[in-house]
Amino acid sequence: MLVSTIDALEKFTIVEAASGFEALRLLPREQVDLIITDINMPDINGLELISYVRNNPNYQLIPLFIVSTESGDKDLEKGLALGANEYLVKPFNPQKLQELICKYLG
Amino acid sequence: MSVEENLGKAVKDFLAEAEEILDQLSLDLVALSDCADGGECSPDLVNSVFRAAHSLKGLAGMFGFSEIAELGHHLENLLDALRLGRTALDQAVVSALFEATELLSVLVRNAGESGGEPVDTSGVVQRINDCLAREPKGSQASPLSRLKLPERVLNSMTEYEEHRLLENVKRGRRIYSIRVSLLLATFDSELMELTEQLKQVGEVISTLPSASGGLEAGIDFEILFGSELSASELTPLVEREHLSIVRFGEETELPAPLEDEFHAPLPIEGSVTAKSMSRTVRVDIGKLDILMNIVGELVLSHSMISEVAARMRRDGFLAPAQELVKAAKGLEKKLSELQKGVMEIRMIPVGQLFEKMSRIIRKISREQGKQVELKLYGADTELDKLIIEDISDPVMHIVRNAIDHGIETPERRRALGKDEKGTITLSSFQKGNHVVIQVDDDGSGIDVARVKQKARELGMLGAGEEVGDREALEFIFLPGFSTTDVVSEISGRGVGMDVVRTNIAALSGMIDLENRPGQGTRVTITLPITLAIIKALIISAAGRTYALPITSVLESLLVEKGEIRTVERKEVITLRETTLPLLRLSEFFQLSGAGEPPESFYVVVVGIAEKRLGLVVDDLLGQQDIVIKSIGETFAGFRGISGAADLGDQRTILVLDVGSVIGEATRGGA
Repeated sequence: MLVSTIDALEKFTIVEAASGFEALRLLPREQVDLIITDINMPDINGLELISYVRNNPNYQLIPLFIVSTESGDKDLEKGLALGANEYLVKPFNPQKLQELICKYLG
Repeated sequence: MSVEENLGKAVKDFLAEAEEILDQLSLDLVALSDCADGGECSPDLVNSVFRAAHSLKGLAGMFGFSEIAELGHHLENLLDALRLGRTALDQAVVSALFEATELLSVLVRNAGESGGEPVDTSGVVQRINDCLAREPKGSQASPLSRLKLPERVLNSMTEYEEHRLLENVKRGRRIYSIRVSLLLATFDSELMELTEQLKQVGEVISTLPSASGGLEAGIDFEILFGSELSASELTPLVEREHLSIVRFGEETELPAPLEDEFHAPLPIEGSVTAKSMSRTVRVDIGKLDILMNIVGELVLSHSMISEVAARMRRDGFLAPAQELVKAAKGLEKKLSELQKGVMEIRMIPVGQLFEKMSRIIRKISREQGKQVELKLYGADTELDKLIIEDISDPVMHIVRNAIDHGIETPERRRALGKDEKGTITLSSFQKGNHVVIQVDDDGSGIDVARVKQKARELGMLGAGEEVGDREALEFIFLPGFSTTDVVSEISGRGVGMDVVRTNIAALSGMIDLENRPGQGTRVTITLPITLAIIKALIISAAGRTYALPITSVLESLLVEKGEIRTVERKEVITLRETTLPLLRLSEFFQLSGAGEPPESFYVVVVGIAEKRLGLVVDDLLGQQDIVIKSIGETFAGFRGISGAADLGDQRTILVLDVGSVIGEATRGGA
């Protein structure tokens, strides 16, 4: 939700999912090159999403960033252990996000 | 749009969203404070509150609203500690949560307008930290190991979910793993259905999705579920295709019918959609105002067209005039529908206002050590959004008065033989073209003797003068009147009932007080359903033209001079066995040029709520749709005028504020 307002990279199309379920629905439909997800979501949590993505042959290789608050420390570690590539702690520097995006998507 | 314009719009969106988050948060906090007294709180509720604070903090940080982000961060910390079981929910925590939320609302409001008083958050932050510093409850022993949960489930459980699992185990519940295969096209509604069923009989701890064996159009879920039910009780409740239940802690796999079909290929049905589930649109009210204005102008254009058609007919162009009249009628019908449609968009239920009051009532009654129960009626009565916003402060003030001055302390109430818990009733209903909002309390009522005494002290009532009990209530509405000498934080700060009445009058509404000494007070606010475009009766008095909103016009009569009688120096006539006071507008507005009073003249009977008045006018000039425009700050205090309107033939006339005219006349102002 928040990411789309600061992302000045016009090269990319941003598809927002308002919840974990929407993300699950969007994945087969859109050609997704990068996933950025929160840990706390109303239906499935971010870790479960990562688990789903990494265990699915179709999406295994998509770069994945997790966004979290500092107090979610243990969850962050689990996310990385499950296969997330990078993490960002809120409030995060938009510059940092831009750098990471460039790093993974060229 | 330029980057700057984009940013400006984004900030506005943020503020709107922040307000929404805070509104919902306040509602949830009320529920939370209830269950804090009762014992067990729904983990969904705590989680939802936590997520709200989390979102708000994130959003604020993104837009550089550091004060909001920081306070949001503290609020989030406390809520996180709550949901993870690190802090117990008690009244101190509830107070801190309420306080933080209120300050956040103030900060967000300040951010939306420039200026506003600086807010000191250090106090509430301190209180939050105090709550956090308290000893965490319980031991951290982990009975989880006995369960032998599969790794893939454990690895994708957040700290929160682990806590919930622990809670369930501690409570002696059985832990189940429910696996179900669903179609990608419909999984969310099906899963929701299943989890709703499960929630009735236990707690859904976590939901792990995984790709369905090979097929793209399918998705599997493993639901971790805690319940007191035994397996045999649970199975029939959630029985469906492609579902199996396993209990953790025992290795027995439960026979589920159709279990062997678990991995069967699923038919591909339907298409996957990314459409949003929401069917509402958030609209800036400024845009609605613009729309209303345009509709208003259209109404005027229509009036002009009708005029032209009438003139054409007079001048003999019968055929084209006929067609024009027909077209104008069609236009009028469509305009009326358009007008209704736009007005409906602006209407929101009064319930929103009531919910706000609910929070305030809890807070104040807690602070004052009084017990108050709130009853609500007619929460889905609808009112124009702007009216609801403008009425919010006056109603808040009235409610505060009810608790502060009205409802007695539990001890006093017991001594009086009343229920220890006082009751405040907020009700709302539609009455013709008006909406009524009532605030009832069963407190001590207004002490009329004290009111009179205060009035004498302030010089409003002469030493020798006497005045009836009903009339005495009027003093409360005079500026400077307050029966407490201490300007308490609750009802003070210079906001008196006079300001309340002025605010309500500005909305073309009326306020009325009913006093039952010893038993309570009732405040009735009557408001028009909407402002903007209204039908009006055009009249002339003393050579000037005025408009009367049709909603307040009851009837018009032709009266003979001889019918007028004088009662207590006021003119009245008898109308169907009741006495109707008369008011000559020429005298009310002190206009000259009234001329000789004619033998017979028109009287327009106007009324709001139960009050009636007969306005003496020179002539009735017909009905018309008019658009009321404000006459500006300079004339805002003008009694009796609520605005000006354009008559379409370039004439501008004044619109009578029937409420204040009636008020003035019955007080003997004319």
